Amino acid sequence: MSDFLRIQDVSVAYGDIQALWDVSLNVEEGEIVALIGPNGAGKTTLMRAVAGLNPLKSGGIHLGDKALHTLRAHQIAEQGVILVPEGRRLFGGLSVLDNLELGAYSKRARQVRAETLKLVYELFPLLADRKLQRANTMSGGQQQMLAIGRALMGVPRLLMLDEPSLGLGPLVVESIFETIKRMNDQGVTVFLVEQNAWQALELAHRAYILEQGRIAGTGLAQELLRDDRVKQAYLGISPAAEV
Amino acid sequence: MKTPAGGQLSLWKPSRRWSGPGLIVVVLAFAIVFPQQIAQDNIWNLFFLMSLGITMGQSWNMLGGFAGQTSLGHAGFFGIGALVTRTLWLHGTPFILALVVGGVATATFAMIIGAPTFRLRGAYFAIGTLAVAEVLRITVAQNRPFISTMPGDMIASYSLPARYWVALALAVVTTGAAYLLLRSRWSLGILGVREDEEAAQASGVHVLRHKLLALALSALFMGLAGGVFAFKQISYYPEAPFLPTFTFEAMMIAYIGGVGTVAGPVIGGAFFVFVRERLAANLTDVHQVIFGVLFILVVLIFPGGLLEIWERLRRLATRRQQGGPRASGPSPEEEGL
Repeated sequence: MSDFLRIQDVSVAYGDIQALWDVSLNVEEGEIVALIGPNGAGKTTLMRAVAGLNPLKSGGIHLGDKALHTLRAHQIAEQGVILVPEGRRLFGGLSVLDNLELGAYSKRARQVRAETLKLVYELFPLLADRKLQRANTMSGGQQQMLAIGRALMGVPRLLMLDEPSLGLGPLVVESIFETIKRMNDQGVTVFLVEQNAWQALELAHRAYILEQGRIAGTGLAQELLRDDRVKQAYLGISPAAEV
Repeated sequence: MKTPAGGQLSLWKPSRRWSGPGLIVVVLAFAIVFPQQIAQDNIWNLFFLMSLGITMGQSWNMLGGFAGQTSLGHAGFFGIGALVTRTLWLHGTPFILALVVGGVATATFAMIIGAPTFRLRGAYFAIGTLAVAEVLRITVAQNRPFISTMPGDMIASYSLPARYWVALALAVVTTGAAYLLLRSRWSLGILGVREDEEAAQASGVHVLRHKLLALALSALFMGLAGGVFAFKQISYYPEAPFLPTFTFEAMMIAYIGGVGTVAGPVIGGAFFVFVRERLAANLTDVHQVIFGVLFILVVLIFPGGLLEIWERLRRLATRRQQGGPRASGPSPEEEGL
Protein backbone atom coordinates (compact mmCIF):
# COMPACT_ATOMS: atom_id res chain seq x y z
CA MET A 1 0.00 0.00 0.00
CA SER A 2 1.38 3.40 -0.87
CA ASP A 3 1.42 6.22 1.62
CA PHE A 4 -1.31 8.79 1.25
CA LEU A 5 -0.57 11.34 3.96
CA ARG A 6 3.01 11.11 5.13
CA ILE A 7 4.21 13.23 8.03
CA GLN A 8 7.99 12.97 8.44
CA ASP A 9 10.05 14.18 11.39
CA VAL A 10 7.89 17.24 11.87
CA SER A 11 8.88 19.78 14.50
CA VAL A 12 6.81 22.85 15.26
CA ALA A 13 7.63 25.63 17.68
CA TYR A 14 5.71 28.64 18.95
CA GLY A 15 8.54 31.08 19.44
CA ASP A 16 10.91 29.47 21.89
CA ILE A 17 8.45 26.83 22.98
CA GLN A 18 8.64 23.67 20.93
CA ALA A 19 5.32 21.86 20.62
CA LEU A 20 6.20 18.93 18.35
CA TRP A 21 9.44 16.94 18.25
CA ASP A 22 10.22 14.88 15.14
CA VAL A 23 6.70 13.54 14.75
CA SER A 24 6.26 10.96 12.00
CA LEU A 25 3.06 9.22 11.04
CA ASN A 26 1.19 8.19 7.96
CA VAL A 27 -2.39 7.73 6.88
CA GLU A 28 -3.31 5.35 4.06
CA GLU A 29 -6.00 6.09 1.56
CA GLY A 30 -9.44 5.06 2.81
CA GLU A 31 -8.40 4.77 6.44
CA ILE A 32 -9.70 6.38 9.59
CA VAL A 33 -6.71 7.22 11.73
CA ALA A 34 -7.12 8.67 15.21
CA LEU A 35 -4.60 10.74 17.09
CA ILE A 36 -5.16 10.55 20.83
CA GLY A 37 -3.32 11.96 23.75
CA PRO A 38 -3.66 14.22 26.78
CA ASN A 39 -4.31 17.94 26.77
CA GLY A 40 -1.40 19.96 25.50
CA ALA A 41 0.27 17.02 23.79
CA GLY A 42 0.32 18.90 20.49
CA LYS A 43 -2.55 17.18 18.68
CA THR A 44 -4.14 20.39 17.45
CA THR A 45 -0.73 21.80 16.54
CA LEU A 46 -0.07 18.81 14.30
CA MET A 47 -3.41 19.13 12.51
CA ARG A 48 -2.90 22.84 12.00
CA ALA A 49 0.55 22.16 10.63
CA VAL A 50 -0.89 19.77 8.05
CA ALA A 51 -3.51 22.38 7.10
CA GLY A 52 -0.80 24.99 6.63
CA LEU A 53 -1.86 27.12 9.59
CA ASN A 54 1.33 26.48 11.60
CA PRO A 55 4.72 26.73 9.91
CA LEU A 56 7.10 23.79 10.34
CA LYS A 57 10.42 24.19 12.04
CA SER A 58 11.72 21.10 10.30
CA GLY A 59 10.44 17.97 8.63
CA GLY A 60 8.01 17.47 5.79
CA ILE A 61 4.37 16.68 5.07
CA HIS A 62 3.38 14.99 1.81
CA LEU A 63 0.06 14.04 0.31
CA GLY A 64 0.90 11.45 -2.32
CA ASP A 65 3.91 13.01 -3.98
CA LYS A 66 2.79 16.59 -3.29
CA ALA A 67 4.78 18.46 -0.63
CA LEU A 68 2.11 20.16 1.48
CA HIS A 69 4.58 21.96 3.72
CA THR A 70 5.68 24.16 0.83
CA LEU A 71 2.10 25.28 0.14
CA ARG A 72 0.02 27.94 1.85
CA ALA A 73 -3.21 27.17 3.66
CA HIS A 74 -5.54 28.04 0.79
CA GLN A 75 -3.45 25.97 -1.62
CA ILE A 76 -3.61 23.02 0.74
CA ALA A 77 -7.41 23.32 0.74
CA GLU A 78 -7.19 23.30 -3.05
CA GLN A 79 -5.40 19.92 -2.76
CA GLY A 80 -8.44 18.51 -0.96
CA VAL A 81 -6.96 18.48 2.52
CA ILE A 82 -9.74 19.99 4.60
CA LEU A 83 -9.69 20.74 8.31
CA VAL A 84 -12.69 20.94 10.62
CA PRO A 85 -10.99 23.11 13.21
CA GLU A 86 -11.28 22.82 16.94
CA GLY A 87 -14.21 24.84 18.24
CA ARG A 88 -15.76 24.71 14.75
CA ARG A 89 -14.70 28.23 13.71
CA LEU A 90 -17.80 28.93 11.65
CA PHE A 91 -18.41 32.21 9.89
CA GLY A 92 -20.80 33.15 12.67
CA GLY A 93 -22.39 36.23 11.16
CA LEU A 94 -23.13 34.56 7.85
CA SER A 95 -25.99 32.26 6.96
CA VAL A 96 -25.76 28.47 6.90
CA LEU A 97 -25.81 28.54 3.11
CA ASP A 98 -23.04 31.16 2.96
CA ASN A 99 -20.94 29.00 5.27
CA LEU A 100 -21.44 26.00 3.01
CA GLU A 101 -20.66 27.95 -0.14
CA LEU A 102 -17.53 29.35 1.46
CA GLY A 103 -16.49 25.78 2.13
CA ALA A 104 -16.48 25.26 -1.63
CA TYR A 105 -14.35 28.31 -2.35
CA SER A 106 -11.40 26.52 -3.89
CA LYS A 107 -11.44 26.20 -7.67
CA ARG A 108 -11.66 22.41 -7.56
CA ALA A 109 -14.65 22.42 -5.21
CA ARG A 110 -16.48 25.32 -6.84
CA GLN A 111 -16.91 23.43 -10.08
CA VAL A 112 -19.03 20.75 -8.41
CA ARG A 113 -20.63 22.99 -5.79
CA ALA A 114 -24.26 22.38 -6.71
CA GLU A 115 -23.92 18.60 -6.56
CA THR A 116 -21.91 18.65 -3.33
CA LEU A 117 -24.49 20.91 -1.75
CA LYS A 118 -27.20 18.39 -2.58
CA LEU A 119 -25.17 15.63 -0.97
CA VAL A 120 -24.54 17.68 2.16
CA TYR A 121 -28.24 18.47 2.46
CA GLU A 122 -29.00 14.76 2.17
CA LEU A 123 -26.52 14.00 4.91
CA PHE A 124 -27.76 16.86 7.12
CA PRO A 125 -31.38 17.68 6.19
CA LEU A 126 -31.42 20.14 9.07
CA LEU A 127 -28.95 22.39 7.25
CA ALA A 128 -31.32 22.60 4.30
CA ASP A 129 -34.17 23.65 6.58
CA ARG A 130 -32.02 26.33 8.14
CA LYS A 131 -30.02 27.53 5.21
CA LEU A 132 -30.90 31.18 5.80
CA GLN A 133 -30.34 31.11 9.54
CA ARG A 134 -27.28 32.84 10.89
CA ALA A 135 -24.68 30.26 11.88
CA ASN A 136 -24.01 31.62 15.36
CA THR A 137 -27.67 31.33 16.35
CA MET A 138 -27.62 27.53 16.10
CA SER A 139 -26.95 25.04 18.88
CA GLY A 140 -23.57 23.43 19.40
CA GLY A 141 -24.52 20.18 17.74
CA GLN A 142 -26.03 21.93 14.75
CA GLN A 143 -22.92 24.07 14.45
CA GLN A 144 -20.73 20.98 14.43
CA MET A 145 -22.87 19.53 11.64
CA LEU A 146 -22.45 22.76 9.73
CA ALA A 147 -18.69 22.67 10.32
CA ILE A 148 -18.53 19.17 8.89
CA GLY A 149 -20.88 20.12 6.08
CA ARG A 150 -18.68 23.09 5.25
CA ALA A 151 -15.65 20.80 5.14
CA LEU A 152 -17.46 18.37 2.85
CA MET A 153 -18.23 21.23 0.49
CA GLY A 154 -14.49 21.43 -0.06
CA VAL A 155 -14.66 17.90 -1.58
CA PRO A 156 -12.06 16.47 0.81
CA ARG A 157 -9.65 13.73 -0.17
CA LEU A 158 -8.36 13.90 3.38
CA LEU A 159 -10.76 15.12 6.04
CA MET A 160 -9.16 16.22 9.29
CA LEU A 161 -11.37 16.63 12.33
CA ASP A 162 -10.05 18.33 15.42
CA GLU A 163 -12.06 17.37 18.51
CA PRO A 164 -15.42 16.97 16.78
CA SER A 165 -17.06 15.88 20.03
CA LEU A 166 -15.93 18.90 22.04
CA GLY A 167 -18.73 20.31 24.17
CA LEU A 168 -21.47 18.16 22.68
CA GLY A 169 -23.96 15.85 24.35
CA PRO A 170 -23.55 12.06 24.03
CA LEU A 171 -26.37 11.60 21.52
CA VAL A 172 -25.03 14.32 19.26
CA VAL A 173 -21.52 12.90 19.52
CA GLU A 174 -22.83 9.52 18.46
CA SER A 175 -24.55 10.92 15.39
CA ILE A 176 -21.44 12.91 14.46
CA PHE A 177 -19.30 9.78 14.68
CA GLU A 178 -21.83 7.85 12.66
CA THR A 179 -21.62 10.51 9.99
CA ILE A 180 -17.83 10.28 9.95
CA LYS A 181 -18.13 6.53 9.48
CA ARG A 182 -20.54 6.98 6.58
CA MET A 183 -18.27 9.47 4.86
CA ASN A 184 -15.38 7.09 5.25
CA ASP A 185 -17.48 4.32 3.70
CA GLN A 186 -17.91 6.61 0.73
CA GLY A 187 -14.15 6.82 0.30
CA VAL A 188 -13.08 9.86 2.30
CA THR A 189 -9.87 9.33 4.24
CA VAL A 190 -10.24 10.59 7.81
CA PHE A 191 -7.63 11.85 10.24
CA LEU A 192 -9.16 12.49 13.62
CA VAL A 193 -8.00 14.16 16.82
CA GLU A 194 -9.98 13.27 19.92
CA GLN A 195 -9.86 13.57 23.67
CA ASN A 196 -12.68 11.11 23.76
CA ALA A 197 -10.25 8.24 23.22
CA TRP A 198 -12.69 5.39 23.65
CA GLN A 199 -15.06 6.63 21.01
CA ALA A 200 -12.22 7.52 18.67
CA LEU A 201 -10.69 4.05 18.95
CA GLU A 202 -14.05 2.42 18.37
CA LEU A 203 -14.32 4.31 15.12
CA ALA A 204 -10.76 4.29 13.81
CA HIS A 205 -8.77 1.62 12.02
CA ARG A 206 -5.49 2.71 13.48
CA ALA A 207 -4.36 5.23 16.03
CA TYR A 208 -1.32 7.12 17.19
CA ILE A 209 -0.69 8.30 20.72
CA LEU A 210 0.89 11.70 21.09
CA GLU A 211 2.45 12.67 24.41
CA GLN A 212 4.37 15.85 25.09
CA GLY A 213 4.92 16.50 21.44
CA ARG A 214 6.25 13.04 20.60
CA ILE A 215 4.65 9.91 19.19
CA ALA A 216 4.43 7.58 22.19
CA GLY A 217 2.77 4.64 20.54
CA THR A 218 0.78 3.36 17.61
CA GLY A 219 -1.24 0.34 16.64
CA LEU A 220 -4.51 -0.99 15.38
CA ALA A 221 -7.38 0.70 17.18
CA GLN A 222 -8.83 -2.61 18.40
CA GLU A 223 -5.49 -3.59 19.92
CA LEU A 224 -5.07 -0.23 21.63
CA LEU A 225 -8.52 -0.63 23.15
CA ARG A 226 -7.21 -3.77 24.91
CA ASP A 227 -3.82 -2.32 25.84
CA ASP A 228 -3.47 -1.95 29.59
CA ARG A 229 -1.44 1.22 29.47
CA VAL A 230 -3.88 2.89 27.07
CA LYS A 231 -6.81 1.73 29.15
CA GLN A 232 -5.33 3.28 32.23
CA ALA A 233 -4.19 6.53 30.69
CA TYR A 234 -6.96 7.33 28.21
CA LEU A 235 -9.95 5.12 28.79
CA GLY A 236 -10.26 5.66 32.52
CA ILE A 237 -10.19 1.94 33.27
CA SER A 238 -7.78 0.79 35.94
CA PRO A 239 -6.46 -2.76 35.52
CA ALA A 240 -7.54 -3.60 39.07
CA ALA A 241 -11.16 -2.78 38.38
CA GLU A 242 -11.19 -5.23 35.53
CA VAL A 243 -9.99 -8.20 37.49
CA MET B 1 -13.47 44.12 14.66
CA LYS B 2 -16.37 41.83 15.39
CA THR B 3 -19.36 41.64 13.17
CA PRO B 4 -22.47 43.41 14.31
CA ALA B 5 -24.99 40.90 15.52
CA GLY B 6 -28.21 42.63 14.67
CA GLY B 7 -31.21 41.38 12.78
CA GLN B 8 -29.78 42.55 9.50
CA LEU B 9 -28.42 39.42 7.96
CA SER B 10 -30.74 39.71 5.02
CA LEU B 11 -29.15 43.03 4.15
CA TRP B 12 -25.67 41.66 3.78
CA LYS B 13 -26.87 40.00 0.72
CA PRO B 14 -28.74 42.89 -0.85
CA SER B 15 -32.29 42.44 0.24
CA ARG B 16 -35.47 42.95 -1.64
CA ARG B 17 -36.73 45.67 0.63
CA TRP B 18 -33.88 48.13 0.39
CA SER B 19 -32.64 47.55 -3.08
CA GLY B 20 -36.14 47.39 -4.49
CA PRO B 21 -36.29 49.41 -7.66
CA GLY B 22 -39.27 51.34 -6.33
CA LEU B 23 -37.48 52.86 -3.39
CA ILE B 24 -34.35 53.57 -5.40
CA VAL B 25 -36.37 55.49 -8.00
CA VAL B 26 -38.14 57.51 -5.32
CA VAL B 27 -34.91 58.44 -3.54
CA LEU B 28 -33.12 59.31 -6.78
CA ALA B 29 -36.04 61.33 -8.07
CA PHE B 30 -36.10 63.27 -4.82
CA ALA B 31 -32.36 63.88 -5.00
CA ILE B 32 -32.72 65.19 -8.56
CA VAL B 33 -35.97 67.17 -8.36
CA PHE B 34 -35.98 68.63 -4.88
CA PRO B 35 -32.83 70.80 -5.07
CA GLN B 36 -33.93 72.15 -8.46
CA GLN B 37 -37.32 73.10 -7.07
CA ILE B 38 -35.87 74.95 -4.10
CA ALA B 39 -32.91 76.21 -6.11
CA GLN B 40 -31.11 77.78 -3.17
CA ASP B 41 -27.41 77.67 -2.57
CA ASN B 42 -27.72 76.22 0.93
CA ILE B 43 -29.82 73.33 -0.40
CA TRP B 44 -27.41 72.61 -3.25
CA ASN B 45 -24.68 72.68 -0.66
CA LEU B 46 -26.49 70.38 1.77
CA PHE B 47 -27.24 67.86 -0.96
CA PHE B 48 -23.68 68.04 -2.21
CA LEU B 49 -22.37 67.25 1.27
CA MET B 50 -24.87 64.41 1.68
CA SER B 51 -23.76 62.84 -1.57
CA LEU B 52 -20.13 63.19 -0.57
CA GLY B 53 -20.91 61.67 2.83
CA ILE B 54 -22.66 58.70 1.22
CA THR B 55 -19.67 58.12 -1.05
CA MET B 56 -17.25 58.27 1.86
CA GLY B 57 -19.39 55.97 3.98
CA GLN B 58 -19.71 53.43 1.15
CA SER B 59 -15.99 53.56 0.57
CA TRP B 60 -15.10 52.97 4.21
CA ASN B 61 -17.72 50.25 4.43
CA MET B 62 -16.22 48.25 1.56
CA LEU B 63 -13.06 47.69 3.57
CA GLY B 64 -14.30 48.09 7.15
CA GLY B 65 -17.79 46.65 6.83
CA PHE B 66 -17.38 43.91 4.25
CA ALA B 67 -13.78 42.80 4.77
CA GLY B 68 -13.74 43.70 8.47
CA GLN B 69 -10.51 45.70 8.25
CA THR B 70 -10.99 48.81 10.37
CA SER B 71 -9.07 51.59 8.68
CA LEU B 72 -8.30 54.85 10.42
CA GLY B 73 -6.40 56.11 7.42
CA HIS B 74 -9.09 56.86 4.87
CA ALA B 75 -8.37 60.57 5.09
CA GLY B 76 -5.07 59.71 3.41
CA PHE B 77 -6.95 58.35 0.40
CA PHE B 78 -9.31 61.33 0.42
CA GLY B 79 -6.33 63.66 0.51
CA ILE B 80 -4.38 61.97 -2.28
CA GLY B 81 -7.45 62.05 -4.51
CA ALA B 82 -7.95 65.72 -3.74
CA LEU B 83 -4.30 66.61 -4.25
CA VAL B 84 -3.85 64.81 -7.57
CA THR B 85 -7.18 65.91 -9.01
CA ARG B 86 -6.76 69.54 -7.96
CA THR B 87 -3.21 69.77 -9.25
CA LEU B 88 -4.04 68.30 -12.65
CA TRP B 89 -7.26 70.24 -12.98
CA LEU B 90 -5.76 73.63 -12.10
CA HIS B 91 -2.99 72.91 -14.61
CA GLY B 92 -5.49 72.59 -17.41
CA THR B 93 -6.51 68.93 -17.46
CA PRO B 94 -10.24 68.46 -18.09
CA PHE B 95 -11.86 67.88 -14.69
CA ILE B 96 -13.31 64.43 -15.37
CA LEU B 97 -9.95 63.16 -16.60
CA ALA B 98 -8.22 64.70 -13.58
CA LEU B 99 -10.79 63.06 -11.30
CA VAL B 100 -10.28 59.61 -12.80
CA VAL B 101 -6.50 59.93 -12.63
CA GLY B 102 -6.82 61.04 -9.00
CA GLY B 103 -8.95 58.00 -8.14
CA VAL B 104 -6.65 55.57 -9.92
CA ALA B 105 -3.59 57.14 -8.29
CA THR B 106 -5.21 56.69 -4.88
CA ALA B 107 -6.01 53.04 -5.54
CA THR B 108 -2.46 52.46 -6.78
CA PHE B 109 -1.03 54.05 -3.66
CA ALA B 110 -3.33 51.89 -1.54
CA MET B 111 -2.08 48.75 -3.28
CA ILE B 112 1.50 49.72 -2.55
CA ILE B 113 0.95 50.32 1.16
CA GLY B 114 -1.65 47.52 1.39
CA ALA B 115 0.69 44.53 1.27
CA PRO B 116 2.82 45.63 4.23
CA THR B 117 -0.08 47.15 6.19
CA PHE B 118 -2.13 43.96 5.99
CA ARG B 119 0.60 42.16 7.87
CA LEU B 120 -0.96 43.96 10.82
CA ARG B 121 -4.21 42.75 12.28
CA GLY B 122 -7.06 44.27 14.24
CA ALA B 123 -6.10 47.28 16.32
CA TYR B 124 -2.57 47.26 14.91
CA PHE B 125 -3.93 47.56 11.40
CA ALA B 126 -6.09 50.50 12.49
CA ILE B 127 -3.11 52.25 14.09
CA GLY B 128 -0.89 51.48 11.11
CA THR B 129 -3.34 53.07 8.68
CA LEU B 130 -3.73 56.09 10.95
CA ALA B 131 0.05 56.48 10.97
CA VAL B 132 0.29 56.32 7.17
CA ALA B 133 -2.42 58.98 6.78
CA GLU B 134 -0.80 61.28 9.33
CA VAL B 135 2.60 60.96 7.69
CA LEU B 136 0.96 61.98 4.40
CA ARG B 137 -0.83 64.91 6.02
CA ILE B 138 2.31 66.26 7.66
CA THR B 139 4.35 65.79 4.50
CA VAL B 140 1.80 67.71 2.47
CA ALA B 141 1.53 70.42 5.12
CA GLN B 142 5.31 70.87 5.04
CA ASN B 143 5.67 70.93 1.28
CA ARG B 144 2.47 72.74 0.27
CA PRO B 145 2.00 75.30 3.02
CA PHE B 146 0.02 77.79 0.91
CA ILE B 147 -3.70 77.97 0.26
CA SER B 148 -4.78 76.52 -3.07
CA THR B 149 -7.25 78.89 -4.73
CA MET B 150 -9.10 78.57 -8.01
CA PRO B 151 -8.06 81.13 -10.61
CA GLY B 152 -10.41 84.06 -11.20
CA ASP B 153 -11.99 82.81 -14.41
CA MET B 154 -12.94 79.53 -12.76
CA ILE B 155 -14.54 81.38 -9.87
CA ALA B 156 -16.42 83.59 -12.29
CA SER B 157 -17.99 80.59 -14.01
CA TYR B 158 -18.41 78.57 -10.79
CA SER B 159 -21.67 76.64 -10.60
CA LEU B 160 -22.74 74.95 -7.39
CA PRO B 161 -25.39 72.72 -9.09
CA ALA B 162 -22.67 71.35 -11.39
CA ARG B 163 -20.72 70.29 -8.28
CA TYR B 164 -23.80 68.62 -6.89
CA TRP B 165 -24.49 66.62 -10.05
CA VAL B 166 -20.95 65.28 -10.04
CA ALA B 167 -21.18 64.37 -6.34
CA LEU B 168 -24.58 62.73 -6.80
CA ALA B 169 -23.35 60.71 -9.76
CA LEU B 170 -20.37 59.54 -7.73
CA ALA B 171 -22.59 58.55 -4.80
CA VAL B 172 -24.80 56.52 -7.15
CA VAL B 173 -21.82 54.85 -8.82
CA THR B 174 -20.19 54.06 -5.47
CA THR B 175 -23.39 52.59 -4.05
CA GLY B 176 -23.80 50.54 -7.22
CA ALA B 177 -20.24 49.32 -6.89
CA ALA B 178 -20.82 48.28 -3.28
CA TYR B 179 -23.90 46.38 -4.39
CA LEU B 180 -22.05 44.66 -7.22
CA LEU B 181 -19.17 43.82 -4.92
CA LEU B 182 -21.62 42.00 -2.63
CA ARG B 183 -23.07 40.15 -5.61
CA SER B 184 -19.69 39.23 -6.99
CA ARG B 185 -17.93 35.91 -6.87
CA TRP B 186 -15.47 37.31 -4.34
CA SER B 187 -18.00 38.60 -1.85
CA LEU B 188 -18.15 35.39 0.17
CA GLY B 189 -14.38 35.31 0.43
CA ILE B 190 -14.31 38.92 1.60
CA LEU B 191 -17.06 38.33 4.17
CA GLY B 192 -15.29 35.15 5.24
CA VAL B 193 -12.11 37.11 5.92
CA ARG B 194 -14.11 39.41 8.17
CA GLU B 195 -15.76 36.56 10.05
CA ASP B 196 -12.72 34.35 10.62
CA GLU B 197 -9.55 34.90 8.69
CA GLU B 198 -8.00 31.54 9.47
CA ALA B 199 -11.12 29.55 8.77
CA ALA B 200 -11.45 31.39 5.47
CA GLN B 201 -7.88 30.51 4.60
CA ALA B 202 -8.50 26.87 5.44
CA SER B 203 -11.54 26.95 3.15
CA GLY B 204 -9.38 28.00 0.23
CA VAL B 205 -9.64 31.79 0.40
CA HIS B 206 -6.50 33.69 -0.57
CA VAL B 207 -6.84 36.15 2.30
CA LEU B 208 -4.39 38.84 1.20
CA ARG B 209 -5.81 38.97 -2.33
CA HIS B 210 -9.34 39.48 -1.02
CA LYS B 211 -8.24 42.16 1.41
CA LEU B 212 -6.40 43.96 -1.37
CA LEU B 213 -9.46 43.81 -3.61
CA ALA B 214 -11.62 45.42 -0.92
CA LEU B 215 -8.89 47.97 -0.23
CA ALA B 216 -8.43 48.89 -3.90
CA LEU B 217 -12.13 49.59 -4.40
CA SER B 218 -12.40 51.38 -1.09
CA ALA B 219 -9.41 53.60 -1.86
CA LEU B 220 -10.57 54.27 -5.42
CA PHE B 221 -13.89 55.69 -4.28
CA MET B 222 -12.40 57.59 -1.34
CA GLY B 223 -9.92 59.13 -3.78
CA LEU B 224 -12.74 60.07 -6.15
CA ALA B 225 -14.59 61.64 -3.22
CA GLY B 226 -11.46 63.67 -2.48
CA GLY B 227 -11.35 64.73 -6.11
CA VAL B 228 -14.93 65.97 -5.94
CA PHE B 229 -14.05 67.86 -2.76
CA ALA B 230 -11.18 69.52 -4.66
CA PHE B 231 -13.58 70.37 -7.47
CA LYS B 232 -15.95 72.12 -5.11
CA GLN B 233 -13.77 74.06 -2.67
CA ILE B 234 -12.78 77.44 -4.01
CA SER B 235 -9.82 77.65 -1.68
CA TYR B 236 -8.36 75.41 1.00
CA TYR B 237 -5.06 74.36 2.51
CA PRO B 238 -3.79 71.30 0.61
CA GLU B 239 -3.39 69.68 4.02
CA ALA B 240 -7.12 70.01 4.82
CA PRO B 241 -8.47 66.91 3.02
CA PHE B 242 -5.88 64.81 4.85
CA LEU B 243 -7.37 65.72 8.25
CA PRO B 244 -8.47 62.68 10.30
CA THR B 245 -11.99 64.16 10.43
CA PHE B 246 -12.66 62.69 7.01
CA THR B 247 -11.74 59.23 8.23
CA PHE B 248 -13.97 59.50 11.25
CA GLU B 249 -16.88 60.91 9.31
CA ALA B 250 -16.68 58.08 6.80
CA MET B 251 -16.54 55.52 9.59
CA MET B 252 -19.36 57.09 11.60
CA ILE B 253 -21.59 57.28 8.54
CA ALA B 254 -21.07 53.57 7.91
CA TYR B 255 -21.67 52.63 11.54
CA ILE B 256 -24.61 54.94 12.20
CA GLY B 257 -26.36 53.83 9.03
CA GLY B 258 -25.59 50.14 9.35
CA VAL B 259 -22.11 48.76 8.86
CA GLY B 260 -21.67 45.87 6.47
CA THR B 261 -24.76 46.73 4.44
CA VAL B 262 -25.29 48.58 1.17
CA ALA B 263 -28.21 50.67 2.36
CA GLY B 264 -26.53 51.64 5.64
CA PRO B 265 -24.07 54.23 4.32
CA VAL B 266 -26.82 55.82 2.20
CA ILE B 267 -29.06 56.31 5.22
CA GLY B 268 -26.12 57.14 7.45
CA GLY B 269 -24.70 59.69 5.01
CA ALA B 270 -27.96 61.54 4.55
CA PHE B 271 -28.75 61.48 8.27
CA PHE B 272 -25.26 62.37 9.49
CA VAL B 273 -24.75 65.29 7.14
CA PHE B 274 -28.26 66.64 7.62
CA VAL B 275 -28.00 66.64 11.41
CA ARG B 276 -24.47 68.01 11.34
CA GLU B 277 -25.38 70.89 9.05
CA ARG B 278 -28.55 71.75 11.00
CA LEU B 279 -26.73 71.76 14.32
CA ALA B 280 -23.62 73.45 13.02
CA ALA B 281 -25.77 76.35 11.84
CA ASN B 282 -27.08 77.05 15.34
CA LEU B 283 -24.91 75.33 17.89
CA THR B 284 -21.49 75.23 16.21
CA ASP B 285 -19.74 72.10 17.43
CA VAL B 286 -22.42 70.43 19.53
CA HIS B 287 -22.97 67.91 16.74
CA GLN B 288 -19.66 66.28 17.60
CA VAL B 289 -20.90 65.45 21.09
CA ILE B 290 -24.20 64.17 19.73
CA PHE B 291 -22.53 61.97 17.12
CA GLY B 292 -20.07 60.71 19.71
CA VAL B 293 -22.94 59.55 21.92
CA LEU B 294 -24.88 58.16 18.98
CA PHE B 295 -21.82 56.26 17.80
CA ILE B 296 -21.35 54.68 21.23
CA LEU B 297 -25.04 53.76 21.38
CA VAL B 298 -24.88 52.15 17.98
CA VAL B 299 -21.79 50.14 18.81
CA LEU B 300 -23.11 49.01 22.19
CA ILE B 301 -26.84 48.59 21.65
CA PHE B 302 -27.70 48.71 17.96
CA PRO B 303 -24.74 47.25 16.11
CA GLY B 304 -26.84 47.29 12.97
CA GLY B 305 -27.19 51.08 13.11
CA LEU B 306 -30.23 53.03 11.93
CA LEU B 307 -31.18 50.08 9.73
CA GLU B 308 -31.50 47.89 12.79
CA ILE B 309 -33.41 50.51 14.76
CA TRP B 310 -35.81 50.83 11.84
CA GLU B 311 -36.14 47.07 11.59
CA ARG B 312 -36.97 46.76 15.29
CA LEU B 313 -39.55 49.53 15.13
CA ARG B 314 -41.15 47.91 12.12
CA ARG B 315 -41.38 44.59 13.92
CA LEU B 316 -42.83 46.26 16.97
CA ALA B 317 -45.47 47.92 14.81
CA THR B 318 -46.35 44.65 13.10
CA ARG B 319 -46.74 42.97 16.44
CA ARG B 320 -49.02 45.75 17.73
CA GLN B 321 -51.18 45.41 14.66
CA GLN B 322 -51.50 41.70 15.17
CA GLY B 323 -53.01 42.30 18.61
CA GLY B 324 -50.60 42.70 21.45
CA PRO B 325 -47.11 41.48 21.98
CA ARG B 326 -46.29 37.82 21.55
CA ALA B 327 -49.80 37.11 20.26
CA SER B 328 -48.80 35.90 16.83
CA GLY B 329 -45.51 37.61 16.23
CA PRO B 330 -42.65 35.77 14.66
CA SER B 331 -40.99 33.22 16.90
CA PRO B 332 -37.55 34.15 18.20
CA GLU B 333 -36.08 31.63 15.84
CA GLU B 334 -37.65 33.22 12.81
CA GLU B 335 -36.35 36.56 13.94
CA GLY B 336 -32.89 35.16 13.54
CA LEU B 337 -33.55 35.10 9.84
